Parts: sequence; C-alpha cells; structure tokens
Amino acid sequence: MNISKILIVDDEETISSYLDRKLTQLGYTVLVASDGEEAVELCNSQKPDIVLLDVKLPRMNGYEVCRRIKSNPKTCNVPVLMLSAKSQANEIEEGLAAGAERYITKPIGFPDILNHIKSFETA
Amino acid sequence: MSFLKKTLPGTSILGKLLASFLVLSLVPLIILGLWANHNFEETGELAKRNIDEMARLNLRSAESLGQRVIRDSVEALDARSTEAIEVRTIDLANSIASFLYERDDDLRVLSTVKISGEAYLKFFRSHYRYVIIPDHEPRSIQQPKDHDSATVSGNQENSKSWRHRPPYRFNRMKIPLYAEVSFIDLEGNEKLRVNSDGSQALLRNVSLKENTYCKAEDYFGRLQGLGDEEIYVSRVVGAHVPGWLKISDGAVSVTGESAYAGKENPQGRNFRGIIRWAMPVLENGVRIGYCSMALDHEHIMQFTDHLMPTDERFTSTSDAGEGNYAWLWDFEGRCISHPRDFFIMGFDCETGREIPGWISESTYREFLESGNTLKEFVSHLPLFTEFTQSKKGSKAQIASGRIALDCRTLDMAPQCQGWHEGSEDGGSGSFVILWSGLWKLTSYAAIPYFTGQYGRSERGFGYVTFGANVDDFHKAANQTAEFIQNSLKQQERSIEEINLKTENTFREVERNTRKMLLLIGVGSLSALMLASILISYSITRPIKDLTVGAMAMRQGDLNQRIKVSTSDEIGELAYSFNEMASNVAEVDRMKSEFVTIASHELRTPIHSMLLGVSGILGGYAGEINSEVRHDLEIVRNEIDRLMKLVNDLLDLSRIEARLVQLQIGPVRINSLVTRAVSRVSDLAAKHNHSIENRLSENETMVMVDEDRIVQVLVNLLGNSIKYNPDHGKIIIQGRSSDRMFTVMVVDNGYGVPKWALKKIFDKFFQADILMSQKVGGTGLGLNISKRIIEDHGGSIDCSSPVDPGEYYGLVLNSERKGAVFSFTLPLA
Repeated sequence: MNISKILIVDDEETISSYLDRKLTQLGYTVLVASDGEEAVELCNSQKPDIVLLDVKLPRMNGYEVCRRIKSNPKTCNVPVLMLSAKSQANEIEEGLAAGAERYITKPIGFPDILNHIKSFETA
Repeated sequence: MSFLKKTLPGTSILGKLLASFLVLSLVPLIILGLWANHNFEETGELAKRNIDEMARLNLRSAESLGQRVIRDSVEALDARSTEAIEVRTIDLANSIASFLYERDDDLRVLSTVKISGEAYLKFFRSHYRYVIIPDHEPRSIQQPKDHDSATVSGNQENSKSWRHRPPYRFNRMKIPLYAEVSFIDLEGNEKLRVNSDGSQALLRNVSLKENTYCKAEDYFGRLQGLGDEEIYVSRVVGAHVPGWLKISDGAVSVTGESAYAGKENPQGRNFRGIIRWAMPVLENGVRIGYCSMALDHEHIMQFTDHLMPTDERFTSTSDAGEGNYAWLWDFEGRCISHPRDFFIMGFDCETGREIPGWISESTYREFLESGNTLKEFVSHLPLFTEFTQSKKGSKAQIASGRIALDCRTLDMAPQCQGWHEGSEDGGSGSFVILWSGLWKLTSYAAIPYFTGQYGRSERGFGYVTFGANVDDFHKAANQTAEFIQNSLKQQERSIEEINLKTENTFREVERNTRKMLLLIGVGSLSALMLASILISYSITRPIKDLTVGAMAMRQGDLNQRIKVSTSDEIGELAYSFNEMASNVAEVDRMKSEFVTIASHELRTPIHSMLLGVSGILGGYAGEINSEVRHDLEIVRNEIDRLMKLVNDLLDLSRIEARLVQLQIGPVRINSLVTRAVSRVSDLAAKHNHSIENRLSENETMVMVDEDRIVQVLVNLLGNSIKYNPDHGKIIIQGRSSDRMFTVMVVDNGYGVPKWALKKIFDKFFQADILMSQKVGGTGLGLNISKRIIEDHGGSIDCSSPVDPGEYYGLVLNSERKGAVFSFTLPLA
C-alpha cells in the first residue's frame, strides 16, 4: 500500500502546521483538520491513505472520530494512527477499541512518527 | 494487622459499655441478692423462733387456761356437788323426821284403838312398808347408770340437754313396819301383843328389863312419868353384831363372819333393832295402861342404806368401802345406821348391856391402865376430847369385832366432832377432810324430830351424815383435765409438726426465693446485656459505618456516604463526614482533572519541542554541525527527563488519588523478574553491569498486578545500575515465607548511608546528593515503588551495607559497600 495522502487531525496548530510542513517537504499530500467533525468530513470527502488522529479535539473527540471513520464503509479501510498525550492504559484501550490501528503517546519525535507512517506503507 | 485493630472499634466500646453496665447493674443486683438472702434467712429464723415461741406461749396459756378451767370446774363441780349433797342430807333428815312423826301419829291412833287382839292385829297388819332387798352378791364393779339416751323427748324442742333416767327397779318386799304392837297395863304386864311374825307370843311383864327387847329396855319406868298426851320414844335398841375389819396394805376389807356390810359383806348378819313408841291409853279419862309399838329399825336404815351421794343416786346395796354412803347418828352421837352393820351401836343381849364404842389405841391403853371395865371407862371419858386422825383405832377392839361407833368417844375420827357440833343447833353443813388418804366431803344435817327425849335439844332425833369421795364429784372435771392434758400433748405434737412444716415451708420458700433471685438476676443480667449490646450497637454501628466509610475513602472510594439515621452527636459526625467526603471527592476530582489536564497540557508543548528537536537531529531540517547536534542532544535529553518527570508525577498523582486500579492476578515470580531484567538489559550493558537473576527458575505464584511489579523491579534495577559505579554486579534473589514472597535486589554499589535509609523512599529524595556525579532522576521512583508494594499489602525496605557473608559472589569493599532493596509480595 502506498501512502501519499495524510490527514492530520490536531487542534494544536503548532503541531499540525509543523507536521504539515515537514511531511509536505517529504512529498506527502497533507490534509489538516482542527476539530473532530471536520476530520470525519475530510476523511469522507478526501479519502486519505492514513489518518494521524489526536484524541482531545473540539466538537468531537478522537475516539468518536475513529469510530465514524471505521463505521463508514468508504473510509473503514483507512488506517488510523492515534497520537495523544493521553497515555493511560484505559485511554489506549479505548482508542484501539474504537478501531484505531495504532495508538502512539505524545511526546514522540518526528523521525519516530515518520517511521510509523512508513511502517503502514510496507505492510 | 494494625489495620484490623482499627476496623473493630466496636469491640472495645461494646466491651466498655458491657463492663460498665455489668458493674452498674450487677453489683447492686448482687448486693440486693445477698441482702435479700441474708434478710430472708434472718426473717426465716425470726419467724421460726416467733412461731415456736408463739406456739409455746399458746401451749402454755392453753395449759394454764386448761388448768384454770379444770380448777374452776373442779371448784364449781365440787361446790355444786357439795350443794347437792347438803340438800340431799337435809332432805333425808327431813324425810326421816317426817317418818318419825308419822309414827307418833300411828301411836296416837293406836292409843284410841279398842284394846283387843283383833283390833291390834288389824292395826299391825295395816302398817307394812317396802324395804329394798340388797343384792346378796359380793361387790363387783358396777357402772353407774347413765342417762338413757335412747329415750328422747318426742318434741324436738325439748331435745336440748334432754336428761332422762328410767325408774330404779330394786327388789323390794313389804315387811311389817313394827316389830311388835302391844298393850301394857299399869303394872307393866303385857295384856296384848302382836309380833312381827303375826303370832301371839308369851306375854311378859316389861317392867322387868330381862323381859324387854335384848334385855336392854327400861321404858316402863319412864312411861309412868308421862302425861296423858305425852309420847315416849326410845333410842335404837338392838343386839350389836360384831364385825372384823382386815387391813392389809392400806386396803380395808370386811371378814366373812362379820355383820352385814353391804357389798363388802352381803352375806353377813344384819343388825336388828327397834325404836319403841309408847303412850298412855285412857278409858273415860282414866289411864288404864299403855300402848306400845316397836318400830322395826330396818325401816330407819332403809333411809340411808340405799342412798348414794354420787351420780348413781340410789343403790340396792351400799358400799362403805367405796366411801360414798350415808349413815345416821342418834341425838347422843351413837351410830344408829351404817352400811357396815357392826358399826351400829348395840347391846349384848345376854346381859342387856350396851357394847362400848370403839376408841383409839392410845385411849384404849389408858383404859387398860384404868383397871375399870371398858364400859365403865368409856362412859366416863370426857366427850370430844383430843379427836385427831393421828390416832388409830384400838387393835384389841378390832380383834374382838366390837367396833361400834360412838361419835362422842371416837377420838381417832375428828369429823365426828364436826358433825356433832355442826348439828347442835339443828342445822346442817359440810366440810372436807382428808380421810384414809382420800379427800372426803362429809355433810351433816340434824333430824328435826323432837318427840319425847328427842326434844331435849335442837339436834332432835340425831343427825344424818354423808360421806363422799371428793374426786367423784369432779370426775367429769378430771376427765376434762385428762382430755385437756391429752389435747395439750396432742397440741404440742401438732406444734412440733407445724414447726417442722413451717421450717420446711420456709426452706422451700427460701429455695424458691433463691431460685427466683437467681432467675431475676440472670434475667435482668441478660436483659442488661441485651440492652447494652443494643445501646452500644446503636452507638457503635454508626461509628462502624463511619469507619467503613473512612476506610473506603482511604482506599479511594470517595463516593462513600454514611447513612445519617440519628440526630445525635454521631449523626452530626456522620453528616460532617459526608460533607468532608463530598469536599474530598470534589478536591480529588479537581485534582484528578488537574493532573489529567496538566499532564496533557505539559505533554503537548513537550511534544512540540521533541518534534522540532528530533526533526532537526533526524536531519529533516538540513545539515547541522556537530556542536549544534551536541547541544540539541542535551535539549533532547532534558526533554526526555522532563517527560519522565511528567510521567512519574502523573503516575504518583494517580496512585495517590487512588485512580490506579490494580489488576491483581496470579503471576509466576520468574516471569516477573525476567520481564524486568529484559527491560533494563540495554541500560545494564551500557554501564557494564552484570545482572544475576537467581529467580529465573522460581515458579512461585504471587497475587500481583504484573505490570506494576515489573515497574517496581525495573525502577529498583535501574537505580542500582544508574546510581552505582560501572562494572558492578546486581543479584536478584528471593525466598518464600509465611504468606509472603520476598524479592531482594542486591548490588555492590556505593551503598546507602545510614541516615538516608529511612528517607530513601520519600518523595523527591534526590539520590544525587549521595553521589559525586549527577545522574539525573525525578526523585519519585522509589516513592512510587513503595506505594505500589504497599497497595499490594506488602512492604519495601532498604538495608546497607550488605553483609558480605549473606550474598555469595558479590565483591564488596570500603568503596563498594552495597545495598539491598527488598520487598514482599503476597503469595497466591
């Protein structure tokens, strides 16, 4: 599977703009949503190859977003990489239960994020 | 275990309450019980004594009352009997007097009768009178005739105290009243005579004594001195019948050859005697002779011989031996009628001389010395001189059978003097005298017959005497006395029985009361215990609820609330507790929220920084020189440290806030340790530490949250690696003990100074200060470890330096003192 279109969902502009800039530099098509509803919409309309999904979001939290994506036949195959400062076991479990392929806790370095994305490419 | 103590505060409060209740109630109860018991015993004793005393008093009073009643009865009966006897004596005397006066009338009639054999016979035959024929049987015990209860009044109203006696039916026969009736001329020649046998006997001249009755009469001489209307009455004249008294062992009996003596000698010869009546017979105013009649003395004796001064009243045969009888004395004190005929004064019909009366032995001795004849001696004795019972009758006279009684000289019978003196004025009376060992009532009454010589004194014809045993009067009283005595004895026995019964009753009541006291005691004790349990329960239950609530809070359940059921202090406490719990829960919620938010808010900028720095270091921002790289690496390490600090803080906060739910389950020790060792193997290799896992084969199961215990082991191993000089050695070993498994992480590092041993598990204790070089740590790892182990119910400890002999294969020296971190885990 080839990954070219990445949806970044994060209400922290610092983070989303940094990732947008760096991933774009690396040649990815980057979509950015700053709230949950926008994320579901974008995912449905743009069909990204992978979603980097924060949990704490305005309007709709990441778990719900993940569930919407995974329950929508159009987007259910899009890998969701949950990326959150919430690091408790129950929080991780909820994310995975919502259908996320992977749950990564912040903080994490950029090379590590890239490695995660790339790992989906090869899989 | 201290935890357990704290969970049971009710025991001590309950115990205290119980104890105080028991002391407060049991002590008075015991005192009350003892007091009641003591009182009861005393009351019982007192009651017993009182009853006994009362009974004795009753008995004594009954006894004295009985004695008094008996004495009064005796006196009353005696008085009544005396009265009755006196009356009977007077009646008898009057009857005799009337009888004698009738003889006067007979004589007057006779004096007018034609002097002819036919007329005198007619007179004779018209004067017969009944006499009772004695039973010529010897004395036998004869019960007095009782009142015939079979004969009752036909009218019920008369039935109360109905008394009736059938008539006395004695054998009687009619015999001539007079032994002879005769006419005597002026010279003393009997011209006409009718004898009691009805035959005309030889007529005699009665002026001659030898022609008279028993040759003892001298009446003719006296007739000549009579006035025309005057009546001559003789004394009793008859032959004395001898009799012999036999005295043996104080008992007196009459010998068989003696005179008739009633029941004492029924076959004996009777005293036969006469009393002569005579008066002039005139013809045309001229005295032509005298008519005479000799009363058969038997008819006089009939008056006394069948009288009984007892309840028997009458008898066919008198019994002098029994002591109850009547007899007669003439005006001069001669005995003229007596149940014992030998006591009647009489004559020797051979000589016509009177037999002298019985005198005392002492007087008889005087007679013997006098040289006189007895008749002469006695006739000259001063009358009624020195009469006393201390004198005894003369034995010589007893032996001779001549023991007729002449009251005037019977000096061993003082009562004679009494009768004689008492009848002197023609009166009557009685007195009591101790005679032959028996109290005798003796009564007397003068016989008011004053014809002829009998008119010389107020005493008249003589006197009647009665003798009666006093005891017989009050036989009824004596029977009552006996009855009372028996009753008293019975009562005494009854009292003893009642006493025994009372005592038994008391004993029983005492037993029952004790039982009751015990029952009450046990009952109230149980009630008190129940009450105290209930009361203490009502106190301790809310306290326990509070405790449970507080404990739940301690274990993190901040939603715990206590049901406020009372409005008392405990209710207030519960209310305050609930308030506090709410506040704590709110604070906790806020703290939890803060931690969450804070950690998130902290992570986000750290994440941004790490993204940037790691991007640069990863070459995603172009080439950088080595100096920049070095500096950025420092930044990245600090970011790591910051991140670790945030993680530890978050962890600690969550543990402290009890937000961590332990996932307890059975885990093998070797699995735990192996996981931890693998986690630190890279770090160990970096510092050239060798880790010797001596638990790799240990499959002991412990009940733990695996991840948490691995976290603790990693923390301890990490510390041993980081805070000690390189090329060290770490040994992991352990052992099972009672319920717990102890894991030891031993190193041969610098060791921990003694002062730091206690503080090493404190929050933010910086191990760095122990070391010359800074390693950099959060100062929270050991504190978190301690909390995790304690949450498992175990304990964690640190000791240093290591005992060289304890862990083989560990190089220790002054530089490397070493330290042991040990913690315990509950066995599965």
